[in-house]
Amino acid sequence: MHLTPEEQATGRRNFLRAVAGVPVLAGLGAASLARGPIAGGPVRIGYIGVGGEGRVLLGGTDPAYAHVVAMADINPAQLALADAVLEKGGHGKATHYAEWREMIQKEALEGIVIATPLWMHTEITIACLEAGLHVLCEKMMAWDIEGCERMRATARRTGKVLEIGYQRNYNTVYQAAHEGIVKAGVLGDVFMARLAWHRNGNWRRTGDPPAANYDPSKWGYPTWEHLLNWRLYKKYSRGLLAELASHQVNVSNWFFQAEPEAVIGTGGIYRFKDGREVDDHIYATFEYPGGRSAVFSTVESNAFERNYEVFYGTRGTLLLQGESEAYLFEEGAATPAAARPTGVEVQPKAGGPALSASESRAADAAGRAATGSAAGVNLDRLAAYRAEVSGFCSAVRTGAPLLCGPDRAIGSAIACITAVDAVAGKTRLPIRVGAAAQS
Amino acid sequence: MIATRGQGVALVVLRTLLGWHFLYEGYYKLVLPAWSPAGAPLAAWSAGGYLRGATGPLAPVFRTLAASGLAGWIDLAVPIALVLVGLSLILGLFTRRGCQGAVLLLALFYLAAIPLDGVPRPGAEGTYLLVNKTLVELAAAVVLLTSRTETIAGLDLLRGRRVRAAQRRDLVDQPKVNA
Repeated sequence: MHLTPEEQATGRRNFLRAVAGVPVLAGLGAASLARGPIAGGPVRIGYIGVGGEGRVLLGGTDPAYAHVVAMADINPAQLALADAVLEKGGHGKATHYAEWREMIQKEALEGIVIATPLWMHTEITIACLEAGLHVLCEKMMAWDIEGCERMRATARRTGKVLEIGYQRNYNTVYQAAHEGIVKAGVLGDVFMARLAWHRNGNWRRTGDPPAANYDPSKWGYPTWEHLLNWRLYKKYSRGLLAELASHQVNVSNWFFQAEPEAVIGTGGIYRFKDGREVDDHIYATFEYPGGRSAVFSTVESNAFERNYEVFYGTRGTLLLQGESEAYLFEEGAATPAAARPTGVEVQPKAGGPALSASESRAADAAGRAATGSAAGVNLDRLAAYRAEVSGFCSAVRTGAPLLCGPDRAIGSAIACITAVDAVAGKTRLPIRVGAAAQS
Repeated sequence: MIATRGQGVALVVLRTLLGWHFLYEGYYKLVLPAWSPAGAPLAAWSAGGYLRGATGPLAPVFRTLAASGLAGWIDLAVPIALVLVGLSLILGLFTRRGCQGAVLLLALFYLAAIPLDGVPRPGAEGTYLLVNKTLVELAAAVVLLTSRTETIAGLDLLRGRRVRAAQRRDLVDQPKVNA
């Protein structure tokens, strides 16, 4: 979403006023009745899947929280790249495996981080939980609803930690926006949210196999192309709804404190007719209780809008852009840039500021170069990944509460899986009511 | 000599509180590395930083210790000594030795960081000149050492009865020289 520099400055200033004094929630949420230190060093973890997303998480792994003992990936080239990430992060060497089952059998691990193609999430997560390991699984939770429910049931039965990797839950911008604006009622009644993730490029990746005779067929990928571009094939992926929308639906579920009851979808493969099986343009409206809707769109043909979530209320509008920028506008002002008086009492900074200035990020989530901000609402979005991995380790070691456990993550997953079918049929489908509450 | 019952009770309470402080300080250092209840990792404890930051006339000695091969031994010995002193004072067992250990440890801690500048130090919760909480605790330990609280309460009372009973048995069993 494009704003003038004046609108940006005003929006940032309004946001900071509204959230002033809201403590960063991670620390508060971890409060516990227990006192005194809890014995144990860094959590001994293994990584399964160290491709692009896995390496982002690996780079966000603090050695004080986790000792990366081993890594498994069917692509040896990814393991070599992951070694460099480990070294840069101040970690020691980790043992390499091609087979994740061999890794969890041979290594004395406590936790696993899973960042594999979507279709493997359920099988690996359940096997790790059954082996007595705690699991941080990348989003989306699973390829199908049944897989999500099996994962949650296994975590409950084994008593092990299961966290799903929606890093926005660990992002201080989102935490402050929820506590200081949405929950505080600054927006008034919100009936509509707009979720957009627009890009102008081909999702198809290019690259050489790790060796001329590399054969991934024994892992379920008939060719190197199927492994390299697993996101484009229905067997492995749920397309843009899983990879992009599920992040944003997770936010609308969080901010609406509800799950959608139905979804209307349409879309198709309109631009890249290159043999891919998943859509490159998708439009879906998620209907929430109380007449509220979240309207999602993703296009692969124009990046003007980039990616954002907007919550339109009767008294104000909240814009969260690129996982790192936040703006608040008063509804009904003469111009969008008009300043509004804050509706939130500014409290002393005893708990520390909710936000602090940072221009450290090089690009936002849409890949666009970050722009400067005198008001300083921009945050290093990679910090959310670091907080996510550290939060997982804290949960393992101390029982600190999860910010995105299966009960929260399953709502977004079920909505987006249902949306895949709605888009395919260009129709409206009901979403299983109370999905998150079911056992 | 204990003048009143209240004085005796107060001294035993003081001994117990001092003992708990020692015991928990030692336990905490031994259990590290660990995690805070809020979920933050806590690094392993080392006396190195304290010794390297020593002030006062004995500072060179402490800094030499920190740089010596004894550093690892000190990291283990200090928490164990704290735990033993703490248990001794709480239980009233080998109380005199416990009080002596407390005085020795507190004297070392005080000498390593004598507050000479009289301004707040980073991380400290108060402002001190010569007299700080360590010195006050040291004085309390000296009071306990000289008050013989093991004669008021504690396992030393039981130990003393057993020793005296054994001594009486020895006297009875001795052969009569003039018989």
